[in-house]
Amino acid sequence: MPDAVAALNPSDRLRRMFRDPLLLSILIILWALLALFIVYPLASLLIRTFTDEGRFSFAGVLGILADPMQRQALWNSLLLGTLVGLCGTVLGFLFAYTAVRTNLSKGWVFFLDAAVILPLISPPFTTAIAMIFSFGPRGLITYDLLGLTSVSVYGLPSTLFSETITFFPIAYLTLKAILAGIDPTVEDMAFSLGSSRRRVFRTVTLPLAVPGIANAFLLLFAASLADFATPLILAGNSFPVLPTQAYLQITGMFDLKGGAVLSFVLLVPAFAVFLLQRFWVSRKYYVMITGKAGAKTEIKSVRPWMRHLLLAVCLLISVSILYFYVLLFYASIVKAFGADFTITWKHYHVVFTEGLQAIRDTLIIAGIGMPLGGIYSVVVGYVICKKDFVSRRTMEIVSMINYSLPGTIVGIAYLLVFNDPPLMLAGTAVIIIACYVFRYGPTGIRTTVAILQQIDPSIEEASSSLGANSGTTFRRITLPLILPAFFAGLGVVFIRSMTAISATIFLISINWTLITVRILEKMTELELGVAAAFSILVVLIVFVVIGAISLFLRLFRQPGAPDMANILGG
Amino acid sequence: MEAVRIRLEQIHKTFLHRIKGEVAAVQNVSLEVEPGEFLTLLGPSGCGKTTTLRMIAGFERPDRGRIFIGEEDVTDLMANRRNIGFVFQNYALFPHLNVFENVAYGLKVQGKNTADIDREVAKVLELVGLTAYARQFPHQLSGGEQQRVALARAVVIEPRVLLFDEPLSNLDAKLRVYMRGEIRRLQKALAITAVYVTHDQEEAMAISDQIAVMNEGRIVQVGTAEELYLRPENAFVAQFIGRINALPAKVLTVADGTVTLSLFGRSFRLTAPPDGLAAGRTIQVFIRPEAVTLTRQAGSDLLRGVVVDRTFLGEKADYLLEMDGGRLSATAYDPLRHGTFAVGETVGVGIESGVIHILKEEEK
Repeated sequence: MPDAVAALNPSDRLRRMFRDPLLLSILIILWALLALFIVYPLASLLIRTFTDEGRFSFAGVLGILADPMQRQALWNSLLLGTLVGLCGTVLGFLFAYTAVRTNLSKGWVFFLDAAVILPLISPPFTTAIAMIFSFGPRGLITYDLLGLTSVSVYGLPSTLFSETITFFPIAYLTLKAILAGIDPTVEDMAFSLGSSRRRVFRTVTLPLAVPGIANAFLLLFAASLADFATPLILAGNSFPVLPTQAYLQITGMFDLKGGAVLSFVLLVPAFAVFLLQRFWVSRKYYVMITGKAGAKTEIKSVRPWMRHLLLAVCLLISVSILYFYVLLFYASIVKAFGADFTITWKHYHVVFTEGLQAIRDTLIIAGIGMPLGGIYSVVVGYVICKKDFVSRRTMEIVSMINYSLPGTIVGIAYLLVFNDPPLMLAGTAVIIIACYVFRYGPTGIRTTVAILQQIDPSIEEASSSLGANSGTTFRRITLPLILPAFFAGLGVVFIRSMTAISATIFLISINWTLITVRILEKMTELELGVAAAFSILVVLIVFVVIGAISLFLRLFRQPGAPDMANILGG
Repeated sequence: MEAVRIRLEQIHKTFLHRIKGEVAAVQNVSLEVEPGEFLTLLGPSGCGKTTTLRMIAGFERPDRGRIFIGEEDVTDLMANRRNIGFVFQNYALFPHLNVFENVAYGLKVQGKNTADIDREVAKVLELVGLTAYARQFPHQLSGGEQQRVALARAVVIEPRVLLFDEPLSNLDAKLRVYMRGEIRRLQKALAITAVYVTHDQEEAMAISDQIAVMNEGRIVQVGTAEELYLRPENAFVAQFIGRINALPAKVLTVADGTVTLSLFGRSFRLTAPPDGLAAGRTIQVFIRPEAVTLTRQAGSDLLRGVVVDRTFLGEKADYLLEMDGGRLSATAYDPLRHGTFAVGETVGVGIESGVIHILKEEEK
């Protein structure tokens, strides 16, 4: 009977909130923060977009849409997003299917996971730089191998390729979970009814994976739409996209309003994706109802030759990814890639002298943002999952906004509101940290909610029946159980602080700069070796931190706690 | 510790259901559990038995009525102030604590010192036979072992009462039978008052001193297994405990503590019927299938029936018989010795007056 209990009515809830002063004060603080760092900037962006001399007006948006160049940018963004979505989903499905449906040994799965995780933890330019080293005018493949001199690496194909490699891991992680959740006995059933392998794939496995595929496509579309770094390096003048246009509008022409309007145009498709995901895809998921788990069955989805073919394709792609990173490392230790291949440490010397401030600033920002992000995720996740209060649903949605929006929009919105008194935060570390916490905290929030939903209420009741009051229960039972979510939130905020650029490029200053921004600067100054050295450094730092967190997660013996790879994908 | 009495006085609990609106889960339930007694709340799912148990534990608060544990009115006390031991259906072991830590949890909350905790946990783990598992984590244990940890964790704090919420429903059939014996043994050894919830009537009959049968939020009868089986007070209990034939019978005469009924065209004379029966009325009478005797030689003094269905179950066989004036279920034991009847066969059906049960409910 207890599962039939419905929520209290609103007035009861309100009354109960006021009886719990601790909860009430936490809620007030959270709402103040959410209002300040999420609602207010976004609202300002919208107001700035739709007003002209204090009056409501579509002039700004219409002006942008009338400009052929900007129209082209919108079209290009949508085209690129769709293509990256398609290619990345296909690639992700291929990898996921190979990993969970072909009886691979643990070693192979680990290898695929490792190759796939690399792009996820790299700073955004890594594949773009490696593309230039490979296919640029002096590229290893185009020039040294094929002897071509007049190819251009810039444009749609290279941007598409680079973004696909960078983002397909997201599709891989999404689809891997879905495919692994399809009970092989369901396929067995179809076999027993006389279906061939191909037919089982077409009529059972694929349809069950469709919601996951749709979700993967949307995630990749959104990631590509929001991607700022890759097009900045690879798209070139002939293929403008919205995020870079907005950036150039602001940094090149000091046109804050133009930037705001452009980023609003970007917001529309991004918001559409958010709505589709939340209200359409999430409802389409099939729940596997297979009753009691029977005997484990052997997976027989593919024939041996097919298995080898799939594995070969995945290996080829994994090796190309590894090749990119080897190339990046090589470029960081030679004098001038493409011209002078003498081994040298001078790029690293630059990194640790001239670049020291960026390293120090980034580490300070990441170091402060990390615990704050962890606490923020756990507190928000806990209250929206365990407490019944007025505005709970709203808080859940609002907390996700900055995460769902392209970084460019968040960056420009922050620039709009934190550039003037009374909130003159632009140029300080505070604003960069806030940006990261509210933008990347949601991963930890979702992990917290996922873990809390797995904790049966009877566990807390058991503690109560043994004499523990609610404080003791929280401290001894709930808190240790959500600790993995704390580390997840913390880890994601740290990693993104090390690797993100799209939002924070608008927020850096003389006093506070970031490694990713230095990489961009070095790219534009054509000091590619230094850029490569910076990238290698970031990859190494992130690797160490992820290793430490994974170790921690393993030490906290949580059955059912997510591992780091899945958290990154979310 | 002295065993205590549990007393429920007119408790009532309503839930707000998303679809059905207000649902009265428990309605005016009054119940007394004697000190040291093992009482089972038995009923189909949704009858309010778990809600009643959760109110005794303090996880739910009744809308009306009082709950006493011993002489203390605990209605307004939170679960953590009631000194109870609760065993959950899903065990609710703390997944991040090992067996020792799970069992020690309640003692730590009480602020006992390490030496005492070590000693008491060791004692209880030995009692449930899990000494070797102290350092294991819940997910490394089998269902039966998890169950015993849950039991150890509940009893180690020396609670005033033990409460069980369908604790065996996640175990397989053999283990279920074994564990119910263990639970009963432990309860007797500790001489502690226990309330146990189950929907399995056999389990209830095997384990309990008293059984309170619940239906639609009310207690419909309280009694020992024997009382419920032999003297059900209403149709629900008659049909819920074991299997039973419900048959229409006509009252022919009522006189001097006897009643004559017409059933399957025969008349039966019953002694000591409930009051209020009137000649000419048609009432429902109940006969257990196992009280019907079947014979191959159909004598003139016997009823006749044709076997329309037969289920062979080893130690017994169930038959469905087509009688003159209705169908009758019958169970014949020891088919090895007595043989079985085939479908289509005509058999002699023996019904003695003594096995015909008239409900007290028929008093009008």
